[in-house]
Amino acid sequence: MCFTQSFWQLTISGLALGSVYALIALGYTLVYGVLQLINFAHSEVFMLGGFGGLFLIRGLGISNPSGFTSVALVIGGMLAGAVFGGVTAFVLERVAYRPLRRRGAPKLAFLISAIGASYFLLNLAGKEFGRFNNPMPSLYTSGEVFSVFGAQVTTNNLVIGSAAVVMLIALDRIIAKTRLGMGIRSVAQDAEAASLMGVDINKVITRTFIIGGLLAGVAGFLFGIQFGVQYNMGFSAGTKAFTAAVLGGIGNVRGAVLGGLVLGVAENLGVACVSSAWRDVIAFMILVLVLMVRPTGLLGERLGRSA
Amino acid sequence: MLDRRILRLAAPLALGALALTACGGSSGGGGSSSSKKTYTIAYQGPLSGDSAQLGINMDNGVKLAIDAANSKGDLPFTLKFVDSDDVGDPAQAPAAARKLIDNTNVVAVVGPAFSGATAASEPLFSQANLVSVSPSATRADLTGLGFTSFVRVVTGDTIQGAKLADYVAKALKSKSAYVVDDKSAYGAGLTKYVKEQLTKDGVTFKSEGLAPTKDYSALATKVVGSKADTLVYGGYFPEMALLAKALKAAGYKGSIVSDDGAKDDQLIKQAGATADGIYLTCACGGPPAAGGVGADQFNADYKSKFKSDPGTYSAEAFDSANLIIAAMKAGATDRAAITEAVKKTSDFPGVTHKITFDSRGEGGTGEIFMHQVKGGKITLLGLIDDLIK
Repeated sequence: MCFTQSFWQLTISGLALGSVYALIALGYTLVYGVLQLINFAHSEVFMLGGFGGLFLIRGLGISNPSGFTSVALVIGGMLAGAVFGGVTAFVLERVAYRPLRRRGAPKLAFLISAIGASYFLLNLAGKEFGRFNNPMPSLYTSGEVFSVFGAQVTTNNLVIGSAAVVMLIALDRIIAKTRLGMGIRSVAQDAEAASLMGVDINKVITRTFIIGGLLAGVAGFLFGIQFGVQYNMGFSAGTKAFTAAVLGGIGNVRGAVLGGLVLGVAENLGVACVSSAWRDVIAFMILVLVLMVRPTGLLGERLGRSA
Repeated sequence: MLDRRILRLAAPLALGALALTACGGSSGGGGSSSSKKTYTIAYQGPLSGDSAQLGINMDNGVKLAIDAANSKGDLPFTLKFVDSDDVGDPAQAPAAARKLIDNTNVVAVVGPAFSGATAASEPLFSQANLVSVSPSATRADLTGLGFTSFVRVVTGDTIQGAKLADYVAKALKSKSAYVVDDKSAYGAGLTKYVKEQLTKDGVTFKSEGLAPTKDYSALATKVVGSKADTLVYGGYFPEMALLAKALKAAGYKGSIVSDDGAKDDQLIKQAGATADGIYLTCACGGPPAAGGVGADQFNADYKSKFKSDPGTYSAEAFDSANLIIAAMKAGATDRAAITEAVKKTSDFPGVTHKITFDSRGEGGTGEIFMHQVKGGKITLLGLIDDLIK
């Protein structure tokens, strides 16, 4: 069979890519849960986070780092990415969405504003940062760390995977246990009732955007480590992540994670079984099939009612 | 109330109209004040987007030619330059071509640079009788589709593909290969001929097309699993760089051979150390002695004007512009006359080779060179015919 040969290898690399999708998908799902808005500009938050991490690493200019320096650089890059992502998301919310909310604009206006912001940021980045792929200066020597069932797990896979896992667990706890998380869930369930209960809607929305931005920013940096940072990297990764969010159930945090991982693995297996050219076709076909059988996505429930 | 509203609108409109007339006036005045006529030679190619560097290299070559011709002072007219960005995309190429066709000052075009964009633009150029001399569009069938406006100074891919395959079979002595292309007009076109020749040379291979993306780990796993000893990639450098990195990460130990679309310093910048050892074919880049005249002067002038070495096809673009200028010097000054004169070009002494166009518009030498990335630089290995003896 086509994938029995390298099944584990494909799964491992699929999970690594899938966890990047998951981080981005969380931003889409959180904002949708709270605002019923698909934040199309989220892909540019991801891209700018990647550039943030790249600039920090380039600025530090440490060549051939190893051991402790490598760990410090990775964490530093993640923080820089998170900051850039968070700031971009905050600015987006203030500039592109809040004025519309204040005027009670129809949903279509939000959508158009999102797409417009996305195009603007993408082309601004292309103009300012150049249009080439910018490879990340090497942060550690990548190689096989250990192997699982014959598949090699590389340093890249481990860094991306473990960073993603940590952030996802952190987010899950925030949503489930903290006051902010409760605020987000209540606004997602019923915004009017939440405000009557004393929840500051605007603050919750702003913080939701920022959280999504932090995650996407980190994802941008992690993505950049392996694939380089480029002005248009947000477009296809964002589309896949949005697909993943819908696949898992839009508005559902755990669904976004599951969707991302499933999509990443399915894409890889699809490439192996059919052909590289069919990669996107297979990814979207899976989405269509899942939605046909289960229209609310794999995990279905909305943010307000999930954990 | 209505009157006030009309007034409020009228004032800015009037100001705007005044400003526009001011703009129009100044440019018109400038043109008519000089005594020589001005003609514009244009360039069409990717100036933005992933593969922009390839387009910029040629854009510079044309600029250099026009500046040199103007400053030499022996032209009965002044030449201007305009470029049009088609992003290397066949979907955007017609609009880019239109921009040049609608500019009545443009009398000839160098380009389009990419094969897909060329196929999309030529019907428009042929209709407008505007000649396009391409320095780099190598897809084989471009000269067989009946475009009356298309000539190229570079050898087509029937030859590049066959020579690439011969090198893989005879110099690299490959037993099993994996041929990948990016499904573009250029990449797919080239690998078609590579595969044909590989079959003739007795090399078994698997092949597939890819959709340009960032993550090639699954493809790399497939290639490693197929135990191929050579990977041939038909396409441009952004994807080649990412594919090379993915192959290295997957533990691929064989050779990588690619084409002129991947032959750029950006490949090394983007792939880093994994670019070392990649073989690159090109109809370009041969030693200056191969029939070219003034190559050293060209290299020096390019370097001093653009502060970097000439890129892939910069010299061919330079030659394309110069042969247009030569046709214009001989008396042709409108589109139809220039088209005819250019197509009849014979033994034009370019810096790359003596250029003569045959009845189909082919002007290349038929020689393909092999280059290799060594120590972070693209170095010439030699003429493939010599290397496979």
